[in-house]
Amino acid sequence: MSRRPWRRVATAAAALLAATSIAACSDDPSDAQDLSENRVGAMAEYAAGTQFKATEPLSFSVLYNNHPNYPLKNDWLFWSELTSRTNVTLDPVAVPLSDYNQKRSLLIGAGDAPLLIPKTYPPDVNTFVSSGAILPVSDYLDLMPNLKDKIEKWNLKPEIDTLRQEDGKFYLLPGLHEKPWHDYSLAVRTDIMQELNLEVPKTWDDLYTVLKAMKAKYPDVYPFSDRWSQPNPAGNLLNLLAVSYGLEGAGWNFQHVSWDPEAKKFEYTGATEKYKQMLQYLNKLVAEKLLDPESFTQTDDVARQKLANGKSFVISANAQAVVNDYRPDLARNANAKIAKIPLPVGPAGEINPASRLENGMMISSKARDSKNFVAMMQFVDWLWYSDAGQEFAKWGVEGTTFTKDAAGKHTLAPDVNVIGLNPDAPKHLQKDFGFYNGVFAYGGTPELVQAFFSPEEQEFQQVMNARTPKLPPPPYPLRDEEREQVSLWETPLRDHVYQATLQFILGQRDFAQWDAYLAELKSKNMDAYMETVTKAYDRYQQANG
Amino acid sequence: MVTVDTAERATETRPRRRRGIRQTRGYRVFQVVNAIVLTLVVLVTLYPFVNIVARSMSEEAYIIAGQVNLVPRGFNLDTYRLVMSDSMFWTNYRNTVVYTVAATVISIVMTTCYAYVLSKKHLKGRSALVGIAVFTMFFSGGLIPNYVLVTSLGLKNSVWAIALPNAINVFNLLVMKAFFESLPVELEEAAAVDGLNTYGILLRIVLPLSKAIVATMVLFYAVAFWNSWFAAFLYMDRQELWPVTVYLRNLIAGATGAENVGAIAEANEVQAEATLKAVTIVLTTLPILLVYPFVQRYFVRGIMLGAVKG
Repeated sequence: MSRRPWRRVATAAAALLAATSIAACSDDPSDAQDLSENRVGAMAEYAAGTQFKATEPLSFSVLYNNHPNYPLKNDWLFWSELTSRTNVTLDPVAVPLSDYNQKRSLLIGAGDAPLLIPKTYPPDVNTFVSSGAILPVSDYLDLMPNLKDKIEKWNLKPEIDTLRQEDGKFYLLPGLHEKPWHDYSLAVRTDIMQELNLEVPKTWDDLYTVLKAMKAKYPDVYPFSDRWSQPNPAGNLLNLLAVSYGLEGAGWNFQHVSWDPEAKKFEYTGATEKYKQMLQYLNKLVAEKLLDPESFTQTDDVARQKLANGKSFVISANAQAVVNDYRPDLARNANAKIAKIPLPVGPAGEINPASRLENGMMISSKARDSKNFVAMMQFVDWLWYSDAGQEFAKWGVEGTTFTKDAAGKHTLAPDVNVIGLNPDAPKHLQKDFGFYNGVFAYGGTPELVQAFFSPEEQEFQQVMNARTPKLPPPPYPLRDEEREQVSLWETPLRDHVYQATLQFILGQRDFAQWDAYLAELKSKNMDAYMETVTKAYDRYQQANG
Repeated sequence: MVTVDTAERATETRPRRRRGIRQTRGYRVFQVVNAIVLTLVVLVTLYPFVNIVARSMSEEAYIIAGQVNLVPRGFNLDTYRLVMSDSMFWTNYRNTVVYTVAATVISIVMTTCYAYVLSKKHLKGRSALVGIAVFTMFFSGGLIPNYVLVTSLGLKNSVWAIALPNAINVFNLLVMKAFFESLPVELEEAAAVDGLNTYGILLRIVLPLSKAIVATMVLFYAVAFWNSWFAAFLYMDRQELWPVTVYLRNLIAGATGAENVGAIAEANEVQAEATLKAVTIVLTTLPILLVYPFVQRYFVRGIMLGAVKG
């Protein structure tokens, strides 16, 4: 695949552009606040709970992530109803979902980006900030009463702070969840557990017992054979374990640093005692032939094949994989049953590791010069952050796509289908109406987020919601030159952690050599890395208390 | 007449020659071994195709279980039906055909013109012209400058954005130039003596003799444009302008579901990922595969034999 070089070129060009455009940008905050020229079409009295309606017809361009399951249609009720409610027409630039990020980088780099750039995950923002092409939205929160209201009501300040850049501002309007929503865990063949009279494992140690019992009954199989090992080994399993042991993340959510709340300092994740313990746990599973050593290298298809053929009973999962992959795969075995189990609990206790921030929206800094800027911010605030806007984006129009009873409980209209809720209905909420669209509908209250979940998944969420949400680490925004320096250290460090992780787990390296491994990390600038992070953390603390 | 269709003559003469020369034993052994080896090669190259076709008609569960080889298992055409029932699929398919034909025609004309000029040794500044072409093989303007250029030329959202920036492939250009250089100078001299001007020589002498290389180039370009998705992805902002490659690529991404978290697709229309990939491959390669046999008859070597006496 030749995608990476392109991306690198794009980033480099974006950086180049940054150098040229930075001179044109003004950092004077008073200048940022003078909005008298930008109020055309805006509502004079707009507050949380107000229905936004522009005083004249307006149109804003938006980057549109075109999902193949509900391809963009111009005659969707979503568009027409949006215009009649808000007087705003959205002008979508359609990008295939398969390569959305690449096109986004290109358009921003070329200065050709639409005003609204949704579907952006928090770390992706960092590459664009220095270019000056993205608006520091934190300067304009006063235009967004619903957003401010939700941040306050749901105590989201610590999460929002993690978005802040070195200048103390943030550049992304994130999707907000009232409660964390955690999806990934393990799926277990429940019929095998029943056969062996086993309880659903609650902790990682319980899981060990369960695997041990499975192995005793079926000595020829590796009871646990995992997927999601491309391109990095055991992406999901390592991450689940890391968060269960109180680290920020590992595997496909590789985090170089973790916050130690007791010592009140950052530590290098791969060098912590907790990381060592979780490797020892995995090493035990491998050594006793409970975990397939191929788990760390095989492709998803091979892992699914093993599960389908009864060569394994436990595998990494999310709600979708269980329904779309494992159950169809196992369909030919009438007895086989598989279900996602609540995330096993580790030394960190009963926590819900999911972040309450979702992917969100960047706004092109070109928008600031528009005479409709204020109206646009109010519009964004209404559609993405107001209760009415979120309900509209997800459920549609009352009486047409859903009904609401006196208690406020939503029910899908009988002739409308989504996620198989009304399988025989002639129309589809996403395909035919354009609602519940990933570009416009995400986050919100648990009732809204979980509205279309299956009873099984709602039960899973109930267990997870009863657990304590994990606090985000404090921010340590890096300066541009620091980020550059740090990214040079990151690759060798990450590669070495991966390599050693595999060696320790698979028993190719003895844990007696842990100190030698730490020394190797040091020789790859681990200490300098931590020093930079700590410095940035201290700096932020001093500036923002 | 200077041109002789030696391809026809070759097929005529072959049986006669076989009768005339007695085959030695060693030659017969060689033939048998040859046949076996080539049959094996055919099987090895054919197997993946047959396997893909079989997969495209199988149930996902059998594919995941690794039980699909040459014959479809759990035979069904649901995925075909699903893909082909979408009108956008056909719109995009038509786009692919249009883009491929237009871009190939443009490419062939441009490449032929440039290559013919470069093949003339007496051309002043020839090496500089070759140098300019070769330079672009090793250094490119980069993604964003290219995008800015194409956009400011107003080519965005039109077929020209796909056809023009990639009109000349330098590798193809050099191959074609080498071919033209190998044409006997005498032919063109004779034509000039008979009163043809430069364009006449190119159109009436050189090109008819170059069917083999032109056919090869048509094939190279057509396959490249047929398979390409990146240019269309960059320059097309509306889905009704996308070629089918972008459509199918997006479909697979949707079935893989990285962006789909939480949105569980309906059980009755789960787009079986493994089947979908196979269907995609079949649908995109089939038309271009069908073109091969027709182009193949131009791949005849030695077309020049006997054209010049001397």
